[in-house]
Amino acid sequence: MSGTNGFEPGVPNDRSSSLGWEPKIIAFVCNWCTYLGADLAGTSRLEYPSNIRILRLPCTGRIDFNLLVKAFEMKADAILVSGCHPGDCHYNAGNYHARRRWTLFRDLLDLLGFDMRRIHFSWISAAEGKKFAQIVNEITDKTRELGPYNVYQGKKVPYPTFPESMMPLGDFSTEPELRATARRLLSEGKVQVVIGWGARGPVFVTKPEDADKLVWNKDCLTNLAAYLKRKEITVLGKAAIVVKGCDERSLQVLQQESQIERENLYVIGMACEGLGVPKCAGCQVRQPRFADEVIGEAKPAEEIDHYAALDVLMAMQPEERMGFWAEQFDRCVRCYACRQVCPNCYCEQCIVDKNRPQEIPQSPTREGNFAWQIARAFHQVGRCVGCGECTRACPAGIDLWALNLVLERSAEKDFGYKAGMDGAAEPLIGSFSLKDQAEFIR
Amino acid sequence: MSEIISKDELLRCVDEWLAAGKQVAGPKQVSWNRVLYTPVQASTELLLDAATHPVNSIKEFFFPKHQKLYRYEIQGNDVHFIESPEKLPDQVIVGARPCDAAALPILDHVFNWDYKDTQYNDLRAATTIVAVACTSHDDACFCTSVGLSPYAERGSDAVLVPFGDGTYEVRCVTDKGKALFAGKTKTSDRTATAHEGPEVKIDPAKVKEFARDRFNDPFWKEHALACMGCGMCACNCPTCHCFDIVDEGNIKGGYRARNWDSCQQQVFTLHASGHNPRGSQAERQRQRVYHKFHVYPEKFGEVLCTGCGNCTRNCPAGLGILTVTSEISHA
Repeated sequence: MSGTNGFEPGVPNDRSSSLGWEPKIIAFVCNWCTYLGADLAGTSRLEYPSNIRILRLPCTGRIDFNLLVKAFEMKADAILVSGCHPGDCHYNAGNYHARRRWTLFRDLLDLLGFDMRRIHFSWISAAEGKKFAQIVNEITDKTRELGPYNVYQGKKVPYPTFPESMMPLGDFSTEPELRATARRLLSEGKVQVVIGWGARGPVFVTKPEDADKLVWNKDCLTNLAAYLKRKEITVLGKAAIVVKGCDERSLQVLQQESQIERENLYVIGMACEGLGVPKCAGCQVRQPRFADEVIGEAKPAEEIDHYAALDVLMAMQPEERMGFWAEQFDRCVRCYACRQVCPNCYCEQCIVDKNRPQEIPQSPTREGNFAWQIARAFHQVGRCVGCGECTRACPAGIDLWALNLVLERSAEKDFGYKAGMDGAAEPLIGSFSLKDQAEFIR
Repeated sequence: MSEIISKDELLRCVDEWLAAGKQVAGPKQVSWNRVLYTPVQASTELLLDAATHPVNSIKEFFFPKHQKLYRYEIQGNDVHFIESPEKLPDQVIVGARPCDAAALPILDHVFNWDYKDTQYNDLRAATTIVAVACTSHDDACFCTSVGLSPYAERGSDAVLVPFGDGTYEVRCVTDKGKALFAGKTKTSDRTATAHEGPEVKIDPAKVKEFARDRFNDPFWKEHALACMGCGMCACNCPTCHCFDIVDEGNIKGGYRARNWDSCQQQVFTLHASGHNPRGSQAERQRQRVYHKFHVYPEKFGEVLCTGCGNCTRNCPAGLGILTVTSEISHA
């Protein structure tokens, strides 16, 4: 339930004039190619409708995806993102980075139920005034046909039935070995603290005699990698961390991003055959692969279609998906538990806590919640290892896993990339390939 | 002698209230892993007999997570303020846990001690709370430690005590409660026996003393190591009431609103200079206990906790008020 006072937000909707509704289209263009293309269209006296508002940015690589969301929030009916043709970037590779990012971002917006017919991408060079005019004409006509866009209005749907996962549960007989290992490491002085799971939650064992506080059971859900960057923990000294195969992927991501020094960390890997939660179905990393020491041996899991749950959502109509997410996000209280428990969210200051300028509205309104959830999810692309901690922590029961999963699928399908499988791999975002495909860009 | 109502009749009442244009809220399964107090469209959505406590509390029906206070318009150098034009809907909350209902008289202090908070008071006046007494408890429940019980009537307009056979004994506490059930109940000679509730787990007096006298004890630091600062304890707490004031708008106008805030977040006390008087998670954890068991009792004479166990049950790191206060109580 948000706001009971019945006020409309103070953002005036000035789309309708005495002349009737006119589409409002926002174009995000790069300074070096498309902007000059637009300029050429003007000096060549080519006609194109005045429905387009051009925002000039240095490079498509600089166009923050939050700005696109902002445009819809401010009642744009369609958006266009346009820059230099591949190979022509003024900064060599900005448009390659952009191409990879938009490919992934589109899939997220599609899952959320955005009207993809209103989101356009193109390459327009400085010499292509004609192409600019033509594309703007086309987009304006199409948008006029589609009518005004009420972005976050969807159709109400009943909560869908997701395919039931097997929820495998292993045995946890290796607990004594874990305790023995911790005791040994601490008494030999190899590490000063062992970060592990205790009876109630995470524990930080600093004395060998306390090693028995460690447990290994089905409640060992916490992804302990989230503690590695916390200053309260780093002051305890050199750490050993207990990980499952899934948590170990987080260590790979942190290493790729230069957030941890692997040689200063002792990794105790627990072979794990499942904790009896949905994420364990079809787990491919039951046996830790990079740990300094692995305790136990796990049988590989049966292969399953990891992405089947997404099909349930994608089988809905876009306005139904939007309705599904609107209902979910309306429950968001912006407690940021999803961020706090995530090992990948290690920024000193989160973008949502910045208010000069404020890109993401801080209030838990529908617009604000969409903006936040999109920002959180997209900052995880190519980084989320699917540990599921955000979903477990979310008090509102938002299906955050689905947002993470769609981006995981896109990364795998489009770029053959899986987060946290290889610490030496180039990160998905921040790198590009000349072979990246993006048929949706005109 | 007692007044009783069958569950079917109660659900019929709910549908009547809905048909009469009231907003009805109660426990509802909202996703595969969460039951929340949330507005319902039909009585069939209500989960009145769920064994578990909903993850949230009922405070958001009185103190919404985002509440618009007034609107403003900017014209030239003038700013015009426009007061709330609203007409509040009558609300009925069905199936509240007694611990959640008991939080409201506690919150009444803070929303009325100097400034009388109109929005809060109006919502209080427009709402009738029907609590259902608990028939079970879990490890996180500790209502009996703070002077309540599974059938406490405090804060409720009516309490329904289940017989266990699909009927409830209706105990009307206030006139609002009586009005709601007038003509709906039957007189019976049965009396429901209420569930006893959890054993006493903590000693609030001892916690208060500890918070006051051992403010700088290393205990706080050791205890808070696992805390991730997610703040879900505060947002699901029936008594946590901190808020932030924000302006949402543009160059032409906008509105002023209050949003929930949480002392567990690093930005809660962050100064513009960059200094943070509560810079570590340990200090923020201590603050939550200190406020609930020392500050509030000093000011208003009662603890800011109803023993609902939400913070403890749902903490992703296994902490929460019960964990820390029971350690203090048994030290």
